[in-house]
Formats: sequence, structure tokens, C-alpha cells
Amino acid sequence: MKVYPYRRLTGNVSWRVESAQLKVEGEPWEDVETKYVSTVERVVALGPDEDRPDWNQARLRLSAGLPAKAVDAAGPWQDVKVIAVLTERATNSRTAVELSPVSDDGRERTGELYIHRCDLLDRASLAVHVVATVDHVPGRVIATSDVEWFVDVIEAAPSLARELDVKLIGFASGASRLQRFKDSPWLVDTTGRIPAVRVNTDFDGLGDLVGADGGNGAEKTVRELLLAQMCSEVWTAVFHSAVGDLEIEEDGTPLFPHGWQGEVLREMLPDIYPDREPEGALREVHAARTGASATGWGELQPRIHFAASRRAGVPRTLSTTIRDLERLTQGNDA
Amino acid sequence: MTERPSHLPERLALLTNAEAAEFLVEGLLAGREDVPSIKLNQVAEPLPHADRRGDLRPVRDLVEDAMAYCRDGGLKATRADAWLAPRLHAALRLTRREAADTGLWNYLALGVAPDYVVWRHLPEPKDGKVAKVAADRFRGQYHKQAFARLWWAAELFRDGSDYGPVVTACSNQDILNTALRMSVINHRPTAQAIVRLVAKGVITSGREVNALAGAVNASAATLMYDVIAPDTERESRPLLEWIDEAETARQVPRQDLPTGPHEEPAPEPSVSVLVSYFADLFADAPVRGRDDLEAVEGED
Repeated sequence: MKVYPYRRLTGNVSWRVESAQLKVEGEPWEDVETKYVSTVERVVALGPDEDRPDWNQARLRLSAGLPAKAVDAAGPWQDVKVIAVLTERATNSRTAVELSPVSDDGRERTGELYIHRCDLLDRASLAVHVVATVDHVPGRVIATSDVEWFVDVIEAAPSLARELDVKLIGFASGASRLQRFKDSPWLVDTTGRIPAVRVNTDFDGLGDLVGADGGNGAEKTVRELLLAQMCSEVWTAVFHSAVGDLEIEEDGTPLFPHGWQGEVLREMLPDIYPDREPEGALREVHAARTGASATGWGELQPRIHFAASRRAGVPRTLSTTIRDLERLTQGNDA
Repeated sequence: MTERPSHLPERLALLTNAEAAEFLVEGLLAGREDVPSIKLNQVAEPLPHADRRGDLRPVRDLVEDAMAYCRDGGLKATRADAWLAPRLHAALRLTRREAADTGLWNYLALGVAPDYVVWRHLPEPKDGKVAKVAADRFRGQYHKQAFARLWWAAELFRDGSDYGPVVTACSNQDILNTALRMSVINHRPTAQAIVRLVAKGVITSGREVNALAGAVNASAATLMYDVIAPDTERESRPLLEWIDEAETARQVPRQDLPTGPHEEPAPEPSVSVLVSYFADLFADAPVRGRDDLEAVEGED
């Protein structure tokens, strides 16, 4: 546990995004439909959608509630402020805004956060801190809410998890770098903004199978299994490329990368080292990969495989597939 | 040595990370080979706009002038950073959203000026081994890639329209390389306060910046700089107007510093508060090798 040289606020600070509005240059503000703001996933999706214009500016209405002791005049904290901070690593963006009191006791706070489209690439995270003057020192962070929201400017559906970017391409006829893989059914590309799968349409029948929506029962079953398998490969590939490209501090501590690489590691490490904090787990993985620990890189592979297939839902899909196939065979027999 | 590309089209373009990897061959990294520029332009993608700021020639000219500036003045190649960073920023006129696309930086490094990347980043050969440019100077993170690092240094250290602090920040390699990847500088008054300490000579080496960075980061966990040193509210209009002005703007000046977007500078009281706060923090921070005052000059 961290030790602070001043009194911190315990107990939860609740907050949420109440609503969002968008503005197109020269036009009035327009409300964002509630379907784009998910309080369950804690995501605001502001990406392009059919009924939505290309916006320049957005504003989010935020609300927060403080525990009673936070605003107790006899307590250790004076001048209590609630600050929302929006950050995006890819654009090095940082915007802070104060939420002001709206109730007489000062516990309910609201505020508006303005977002400029030209400042963001992809997905920004929104956190809330409580700041106060403690022992005559202003600006002390006395609490940080454990709730985090995301503002997504690419997607139109407010979902924390992202759809896998699957593209159908003919490898033999495509870019020269794909030609050497012309006999491969698919490739995982981890070099882009988000990981992607390239499915080879020159591989007989594969494009139809993966690209189709309906199909008969057997095709559908096989497609789902195939997609789960691809996902699992994606997770394995992104894990390896993220671990292979870590930045190391002077004292040898590996740093969590930005963007999806960091997210992937944070997501998978708890499955690989269930009894460790993410930072400790990352250090272990790095040590194993560079041969600096007793656990070899090879011994780690089954754990990585396990974490990847779990993320990809392979066990679930596989058991469904087996069940479906049994039913299909029985149906044929009948 | 790697030469100017034989084929230079009229417009800048985007080169994905996956495509860029195809051109990162040993011969190029060692500075012995050229980039096959016709092949590269076949796989590059056009910019999503037709603005004049996407013209290739002015950027190529600027890079050549940066090399000439060092060669004619008998200066080390590292000195090009402080000259080129503000001018590249003012020539490209990008939003952060655009600058976060690595495709442009890959294209600049491989399609426009691979000779510059080799000239600037090829280390001296050591122990008889062949010297090689690190691949992330061509294709890499924003604080490593040859052109991205200059653009982001200019973006994060400019004070509104004033590029003066950028020159200070880029004049010391250790400081630039260390400070650029710290996320605390995303708060403008913090970035300005750090530059002031450098300008005042309080901080003079990478080790000192590291020590300050450690202290500033640790302190940021308990103290919110946005509250004790508030910034002005972000306005995007001045930036977008400055980008539109690129249609009629002259080439960036070679002698004087260019002028950036007419944004509000970081509020002076906020910067002053942090300057004195950081100076106190730094006085107490442990600096590696502070006692043996041995000057370690950055390689890069």
C-alpha cells in the first residue's frame, strides 16, 4: 500500500457521464442519443454514424457525488475540488476541468468537458480526482475514483471491447509483401493502430466462409470456430509483439507501452501470473523472455496460449461447436 | 552514403508501419544503400486532403537546409534538431490527430529524406563493428522517430505561437530525449516550467533531467499541477485557422524563428509557481553522479 504524507479521503467517489452534445462548425449544439453513451461499459461513442455529422467539438456533461466527510468543515480538507481529466497517449492530449457544486451541502458536483476532434486520434480515457488543501498545502490529490470512462471518437457503438478488424484481401494479387504468404489462409498484422486480421480470399472458399452472414448450420458453426481461432492467434501475436518491444527504464524496470499494446498486456497478464500485480507480472515476463529468470520463455508459452484462447472465447466457442456438430449429425441420421 | 531519393513526387503521402518494414533493410540502416523510391511510392497511400501543406518540395528543401546549416557552420549533426524542429512544425501545419498517424512520419523518413535520417542518426563506428542507424529512427514511437520527435518536441514545448522554448528544449540532446517521453509535459505550464529551468542553467544534463523527472512524477501523484498551476481553456480555432493559412503562407523563414498558431501562451503565474516548486524539488532530488561532476555528453 502507498503511504501518503497527508490524510486521504477513503470511500468511493461516484461519477458518470450524464450526456453528450456535438457541434458542427457554424451550427448549434446537438444532443447525442443515449444509445451512444453506455453507463454499463462506461464508454461514450462519438465515432461517425449514419445519422451523425462530422463534428468539430463535443461536450460531455459530468456529475459526481462526494461522501459527506469530504465536505465536513471540521475535517482535514479545505477547498475541496472535483477535477475531471481527459487524456490520450497517442496525441499527448490532456484536458482538465473542475466540476462545481450544485447542491447546498456541496456534495453534488457537475461540469462540462469540451473536446476538440482535431486533438484526438482514437480513444481517450476520462478519470476523476478529488483535490483539496491539506495542512495548508493546496492542490493535494485526496482521492481518485476507481471508475474510468472512455471517449471513443472512432467507433459508433459504445463498447469497451473492440471488434476485431477483419479484412478480406487476395494475397496473391495484393501488395508484394502479402504475396509471399499466398498459401496462408490468414495473417495477423500487429503493426497498425489496432491489430488486424487479413483473410486470404485467394485461399479457395475461405472468403465465402468467413465473409458470409448466414449459411447453413454447419457453415455457421465452422465460421464461428474459425473466428475464435483467429482471435486466439491475434491475442498471441499481439502479446508477443507487445512484449518484444518494451521500453526499459535505466534500472531495468520494463514500462507498460501506450495504446493497445499496453491494454493487451494488462488484460492478459492476470491470466499468466494470477497472483501478481500487473507491474510485477510484466517484470517476470520480461525476465523470462530475456533469459534472466528461472522460468524460461518456453515454459511461459502454455500460459500465454491459455490467456489468449480465453480472451478469444475459444473454449466457449469450441464447446458450442462440438454440441452443434453433434446435433447436426444427429439431424442427418434422423 | 544513402542519397536523396531518385524519385520525389509532388505530394507527401502515408506509408503504413507494415509497408515501411519492407524498406528497413540492413544496407539502409548502415547508410550504404538508397531506398528504392519508385517501389516505395507505389505502396504509399495519398494524404486524405489536397491542401498545399501536403506539398513535398518545401519539406525536402527544409531538410536540405538543415543539413547545410550544420555543414556550413561546422556544427555537429545533433545541432540540426533545434533548427529544424520549429521550422518543420511550421511547414507541416498538422493537428495532433494527424500527427498521431505514424504513416506520415514513415513516409518522411523513407520517402522524402532517408539521407537526412542516416546523416543525423548514424552513430560513430565502435570497436570495429559496423555502425547502424536504429530502426526506430525510421519507423518508431513519437519520441524516437527522426521527424516525429522533432514535431512533437515543437508541439509540446512551444508556448502558444512562440517557438523560442522549443529551441531551448532541443538544444540539449539528453534533455530532449528524456523530457519528450514524460507525460507530465502534456500539461503546458509544466512543460514551460521545465524549459525555464533549462534556460536558467538550473538543469544542464540528462541525468539532472532524469532526477527532476523522477521528482516531478512522484510529486504529481500527490499534487495536481492542473489545480495549482491552471492552464487556459483549450481553443482549437487558432490552430485550425493557422492550418488554413498554409494555403497562402510563405516558406518558413530560415533566419528568424517562424510563428506558430495564435494560441494563448501558458499563463505566466502558473509557470512561475511551477518554476519555483520544481527548483525546490530538484534541490532535494538525488542526481546520479551529482557529486562527481563528470560531464557526460549525449551520443545521440
